[in-house]
Amino acid sequence: MALGAAAVPLTGCDLLGGDDGPPPAPDPLRPLLDEALALAAGHRDAATAHPDLAAQLTPIADAHQAHAAELARIMGVSLPSGTPVTTGAPTTDPDATLTDLRGRERAGRDAAVAACAAAPAERAALVGSIAAARATHVEALK
Amino acid sequence: MIERVAPAPGEALGAALTAEYAAIYAYGPIGVRLSGTARTAARQAEAAHRRRRDALVMQLSTTGAAVPADQAGYALPFPITDRASALRLAVEVEERTAAHWRAALAATTGADRDQALDALLDYAVRATRWRKTAGMTPVTVAFPGRPT
Repeated sequence: MALGAAAVPLTGCDLLGGDDGPPPAPDPLRPLLDEALALAAGHRDAATAHPDLAAQLTPIADAHQAHAAELARIMGVSLPSGTPVTTGAPTTDPDATLTDLRGRERAGRDAAVAACAAAPAERAALVGSIAAARATHVEALK
Repeated sequence: MIERVAPAPGEALGAALTAEYAAIYAYGPIGVRLSGTARTAARQAEAAHRRRRDALVMQLSTTGAAVPADQAGYALPFPITDRASALRLAVEVEERTAAHWRAALAATTGADRDQALDALLDYAVRATRWRKTAGMTPVTVAFPGRPT
C-alpha cells in the first residue's frame, strides 16, 4: 500500500493536472492545411529569389493560400497568423527551383488524393479540387 | 448530424455521362480548327472522354441506374471559327466535365470516388495544357471544377 501511494504523484496525468480526458483527435485535414501554407510560402520565396518566375509562381502561391483559407473555414479553425512558414531558401538556379517545386507539388497532390479518398461527403469536393489544383501546378511548372 | 445534400451516386454519374457526351461532341469542331501537336492533343482528349463515357454506360447499366441517352447535337457556348476559339472551347469543355466529376465526389465512396477524382485531375490538367497552348495566363485556377 505504501509503495502504491508513493507512486501516485509520479503518474503523468496527476503531474500535469490532466483530468479532462484525452485531447481531441487532430482534424484529419490538418496536414493538408499545413502543407498548403508551406507550399504557398515555398512559391512566394522562390518568386522573391527569382523575379523572372514571379508571374508564373505568384498565382500558384495565391491558390495555395486560398486552399488554406477554405480548409481552415471547413475545419472551423483560424489560419495561423504571424510570420509565414518558410521552408529554406530556394536554390540560386531557377531550373533547380522549378524542379524542387514540381516535386513538392507532386507529393502534395498525392497527399490530397489520399485525403479525398478518406474524406466525408461534405469535404470531398473541396479536397478533390485541391488535389486537382496541385496536379495542374505540376503541369504549370513544366 | 450534417444534412445530406449530395445527389445519389447514379444521379451524379449520370450527369457526368451527359457531360462526357457533350465533350465528345465538342471535340469534333475543335479538332478541325487545330493542327499539329494541338490536333493530336485534341484527339487524345477526345479519346479520354470516350473511354470514360464507355465505362460509365457499362457501370450505370450494370447497377440498374438510369443511363441518359446521347443527343444528336449539343449547343456550343460560342461559335468555333478559328484556332483561338477552338482552344477556348477546349478549356471550357475540360472545366465543365471536371465540374461534373467533382460533383460526383460527394455522392460516391470507395472505387467510385477514386474514379471521379481521377477524372477531375485528368480534365483539370488538360484544361491547364490547353491554356498553355492558347497562351492564356494564368494557366491554372485555384479550385478546378468548382462552380464559379
